[in-house]
Amino acid sequence: MKKIFSLFFACALLTTATAQVQRGNMLIKNGTVLTITKGNLENTDVLVKDGKISQIGKNLVAPAGYQTVDATGMHVMPGIIDAHSHIALTAINEATQPNTAQVWTGDAVDPFDVSIYRALAGGCTTSHAMHGSANAIGGQCETIKHRYGTTDPEVLKMEGAPRTIKFALGENPTRVHGEGNGIVPRSRMGVEFVIREAFSEAKEYIAAWDTYNAAKNQKGFRGTPPAYDLKKETIADILKGNIIIHCHSYRADEIYMLLRVCKDFGIKKLVFQHVNEGFKVAPELAEYGAMASVFADWWAYKFEVYYSTAYNAAILTKNGVTTSINSDSEELIRHLYHEAAKTQKYGGLSDEEALALITINPAKQLGIEARVGSLEVGKEADIAIFKGHPLSSYAVPMVTVVDGVVRFDREKDADDQRIYVDPKAVVDNATFHNYSHNHDNCLEGAELNMVKLFGLN
Amino acid sequence: MKQFNFSCFGRLFLSLALTLPVWVFAQDDQPLAPVSRTYAITNVNIIQAPGRKIDMGTILVKDGIIKAVGKTVSIPPEAIVIKADSMYVYAGFIDGLSRVGVIKPKEETNRERPKDPGNPTNERAGITPQNDVRNELNPADKSLEELRSVGFTTAHVVPYGGMLPGNGSIILLGGSSADNMVLASKTAFYSELTSAQRVYPATVIGVMAKWRELYRQANLSKNYESLYAANRSGLERPTTDRVLEAFYPVIDKRQPVLFKSEKILDIQRVLTLQGDFGFSLMLADVKEGWDVINKIKAANAKMFLSLDLPEAKKEVKEGDKKEGDKKDEKKDDKKAKSAVELEKEALEKRKEEFSAKYTAQPAVFQKAGIAFGFSSLSAKPKDIPSNLRRMIAAGLTEDQALAALTTTPAQLLGLSDRMGSIDNGKMANLVISDKSYFNEKSKVRYVFVDGQLYTLDVKEEKKGDKNGAKASVQGNWSYSTETPQGTNTGKIKLKNTDGTYSGSITSNMSDRETEIKNVAVDGNKLSFTFDFQMGSNTMAIEVNLTIDGTSFDGSMNVGSYGSFPMKGSKDPGL
Repeated sequence: MKKIFSLFFACALLTTATAQVQRGNMLIKNGTVLTITKGNLENTDVLVKDGKISQIGKNLVAPAGYQTVDATGMHVMPGIIDAHSHIALTAINEATQPNTAQVWTGDAVDPFDVSIYRALAGGCTTSHAMHGSANAIGGQCETIKHRYGTTDPEVLKMEGAPRTIKFALGENPTRVHGEGNGIVPRSRMGVEFVIREAFSEAKEYIAAWDTYNAAKNQKGFRGTPPAYDLKKETIADILKGNIIIHCHSYRADEIYMLLRVCKDFGIKKLVFQHVNEGFKVAPELAEYGAMASVFADWWAYKFEVYYSTAYNAAILTKNGVTTSINSDSEELIRHLYHEAAKTQKYGGLSDEEALALITINPAKQLGIEARVGSLEVGKEADIAIFKGHPLSSYAVPMVTVVDGVVRFDREKDADDQRIYVDPKAVVDNATFHNYSHNHDNCLEGAELNMVKLFGLN
Repeated sequence: MKQFNFSCFGRLFLSLALTLPVWVFAQDDQPLAPVSRTYAITNVNIIQAPGRKIDMGTILVKDGIIKAVGKTVSIPPEAIVIKADSMYVYAGFIDGLSRVGVIKPKEETNRERPKDPGNPTNERAGITPQNDVRNELNPADKSLEELRSVGFTTAHVVPYGGMLPGNGSIILLGGSSADNMVLASKTAFYSELTSAQRVYPATVIGVMAKWRELYRQANLSKNYESLYAANRSGLERPTTDRVLEAFYPVIDKRQPVLFKSEKILDIQRVLTLQGDFGFSLMLADVKEGWDVINKIKAANAKMFLSLDLPEAKKEVKEGDKKEGDKKDEKKDDKKAKSAVELEKEALEKRKEEFSAKYTAQPAVFQKAGIAFGFSSLSAKPKDIPSNLRRMIAAGLTEDQALAALTTTPAQLLGLSDRMGSIDNGKMANLVISDKSYFNEKSKVRYVFVDGQLYTLDVKEEKKGDKNGAKASVQGNWSYSTETPQGTNTGKIKLKNTDGTYSGSITSNMSDRETEIKNVAVDGNKLSFTFDFQMGSNTMAIEVNLTIDGTSFDGSMNVGSYGSFPMKGSKDPGL
C-alpha cells in the first residue's frame, strides 16, 4: 500500500511541479503596512522578489524591471484568507453516501469561475474550496490561491498545502441520508456512529495492510493482500495525522461529541466550521486545540442555527481559540473585511485581533501559516491594498496581489472578466443569479424546514 | 420561495434539441448483388493523399481492393465503369469517435432511486468496461448512411453508457452484418467523465475517485492473479471480476484509453488521470483544446478534434426571423434600451470571439505540430462539410483538413497499411464528389466502402420552404429550450379548426398545461403567445418559429428577461 501511495504522491507532486505558477517582482511604495504579526508600519515599502516578500522597510529601491505600486495613503495588508468557501468548483456534494472520504474537490477545481475575480476584488487571495455538508464524512477539500487568469486548475491549487477533509454534523447529513434515503444517519447519534465506524474500520484497514506488508517480504510467504479501498485509505490518513478535519457543526452538544470522538482516536488536527454555539464550549475547544471558523452574524436559517450570537468570534478569541471568519458564499467572500469589522462592534476586538480573523488565523486552520496570512520577509507575496483602513466602513480594495502578481486592479477593472465564454450559451440578463453555488451550500433545506416547522413561507 | 420559482422560470426557456436531420439521399433498400465487384472510375481527379494528385486518371477497384491508380489504366471487360468526368475522388474519411451504427439503449426515465444510492450495481453506476460495442451494432442503422453520405467510410465506435461504457471497435460504414462491419475489435477502453444519475458516482469528483480506485484495485488483482498463476498451491483463489479484468490490457498498455473530453476542464481532468497512471491515451471530440496544447504534448495523447462547431453567426437576413426581436426592441423604452443593448452587444461580441476560437482549433493544433484526426460524435453529419469549410477559412489548409480526415487518423488508429490514401493494395474506401470536396457547392455522388458502391441520389434543394410554402402546423410537437440553468423540454399541441389554430404547451418544469393564444401561421412561420405564472406575476411569453418540414427553430421572448432559442420536431404519426 505504501508503494501505491508513494507512487500516487510522486505523481501528484509531478503534476504540481509542472504547473506553471506565475510569480512576480514588485515594490509597493509608502503604504501603511498592517503586518498582522509584527504591528503596523507607517510609510513603509514592501519589496517582492519571485513572488515572495524579500524586504519590508523604508525607502526601498526597486531593481530594474520591478513593477511599482504607489500605496501612499493606503493600507497594505496580507491577502484575506477564507477558510470556508465553495467557489471555483464544478462539483461540491457527492451526496450519495454518508461517508465519501474518497472524493476530492481538487478534481473539480474550476479556474474559470468569475467568483474568483470577485473575491480578489474584495482583497481575498486564498480560499478553502470545500466539499459540501451533505455527508457525515464528506470529501477532501482543496486550498486554492486566487491566481485568476490561469486556465489550469493545477495552477489554482496552492501547491503543497496540507490535505483537509469536510465532516458534517446535525441536520444536513440526517436530512439527506436519514430522511432522504432511510439509511443511517437518521439522528445525531447516527452521525456519531458513522464517524466512529469509519475510524474503527480504517484502524483495521491500517492493521491489515501493515500485517500484509510486513509478512509479504518474508521468505516463502503465501497470502492475499487486503482489498484496496480509497475511502479507508483517506480515513487512515486522518488517523495518521496527515489530513485536517474541517467539520460543519452548529450545536454545542455535537461539537463536544466530535471532540470526544477525535480524542478517542487520537486525532488532533480539527477545525470546526460555522460552530454557531462555539461560544458555549469555547474553553473546551481551546483546551483540545481545536479551532473555529465562524460567520460574523448569520444564523436562524434553520432550526439548529437559532441559538447564535454575533459575539461568537469575540468570545472564542478571548477564550484562546484560534478563530476565523469565513464566507461560505460567493457574495460574502467579497467583503470579509466588513465581516471581520463586525467583531469590533460585537465584542470589541482590537484591529489586530479582528484582522487576524481573516488572515493569519484561517492560515493556521489550513496549515499554511508559515507561507501566508501575514506580511513578513520570506512569506508569499499575497497582498491586499485598501484605500481607507480595511476595518472601516469606507474601506475600498484597490489592488490585490497573489505571488507578487497583480490579479485585481480597481483602475483596470473591465466589465466582463470571464476567461472563457460559452459560444452556445444564451446571453443572459445581468440580474440572473449564479445558482451553481446555491444549491449545495450549508443552507440547503432551510426553507423547507421553515415551512415544515412553522408554516412560514 | 420566490427565488425557487425564479430558478424554475429560468429553466423553462432554453434549447438545443437534436432535430432529426432531413435526408435528401435515396436509401439503398435491399440492393441486389452487383453483377461485378470490379469497378473502374474514369476521367476523375484523384487526390491520392494530401499533396498527391492525378488529374483525369482512372482507379480500378476489384474485390474490395484498389488494383490500379493512374493516368493509363487498362479497364477489364467485367468492370462497371463510373464515368466520374472531372469529379474528385478521395480516400474514404475516418472518424475517430462516433456512435454511428450503435443501437441506442432506451432511455430509462424516472428510474427508481435505489435504497442505498451509495452502493449501486456496476450497471447502474455506468461501470461496464467489459461491454463490447460489437454486441450493439446494427448494420441497418440509418446513422450509417447519414455519415457515409458526407464521405466517411470508417469509424471508431463505442458503446453507450456511463463513465466506463465498454470496448470500442473500428467499423466500416456498411456491411451485411455486425461482424461483417467490424475491422478491428477491442480497439479502445472507452471512458467519459459522465456521472451516474442519483447514485454514486453522481458527480465528477465521484467519477474521478471511482476511476482511481478501480485502476488501483485492478492493478492489485492483476498482480495477485499472476502470483496465483505461477504457483497455486496454498493460495486463496483470486475471485474473477469482469470490471477489473477489463483494465488489464490498459495497465499493460496493450489497449489505449479513449476518453471523450470536449471542454478544457474535462481534458485537464483526463490528463490528470493519465498523469496518475501513465496509460496510453486517445482524446476525442475535443472542442476546447487550444490552451492545453503543452499538456497534451506532454501526455503524448492521440487527438481527435470535434467536427461539431458552435453555430455560425447567421448573416443578417433582414426580414428573417430576427424580425420578431426587432419589433420587441422597438417597444422598449429607448432610454433603458441603450445601456442594456450596449452590454448585450459586448457579450455577444465575446461569444463570437470564442466561437472563432472553436473554429480555429484545428489550425492552432496544426501550427503546434500535433497530429490530429476528427471525430463526429457530437456533430450532425449534414453540418460536417460546412464545418470543415469554416475550419479551413480559419486557417487550416485543404490538404491539412484532408490529412485529418484520412492519413492522420489512419496512422493514429494503426490502419495506415489498409486505408487513408488511394494506393494499390489498399481497401477500396473512396469518396467521390462532383466538385472539390471542400467547395461550398460540392456534392458527394459515390461512396465506396470496402469495394461496395453506394450511389447518392442528389436532389435539388427543396425550394419554397424558405419562401413561405404553407407549413403543416397541426399536430403534436416536442420542443426544447436552453438557458444557462439547463435544458427544458415539453410538448406543443396545435389544432386547426376551420383555419383557426388553437392549442396548448407543457413543460417538464411544471405540471400545468397552458393554453396558447394568438396563433399565427404565415407560410412556414409560426408564432403564438402564452402566459406564464411566476409567483404572483403573470409573464406574457411570445414564441416565433420557422418550420422546416418536421422540425422548427426559433425563439421564445420573455420581455425584459431576454430571448431564448427554441428548437423542436414534430412527433411522428400525428
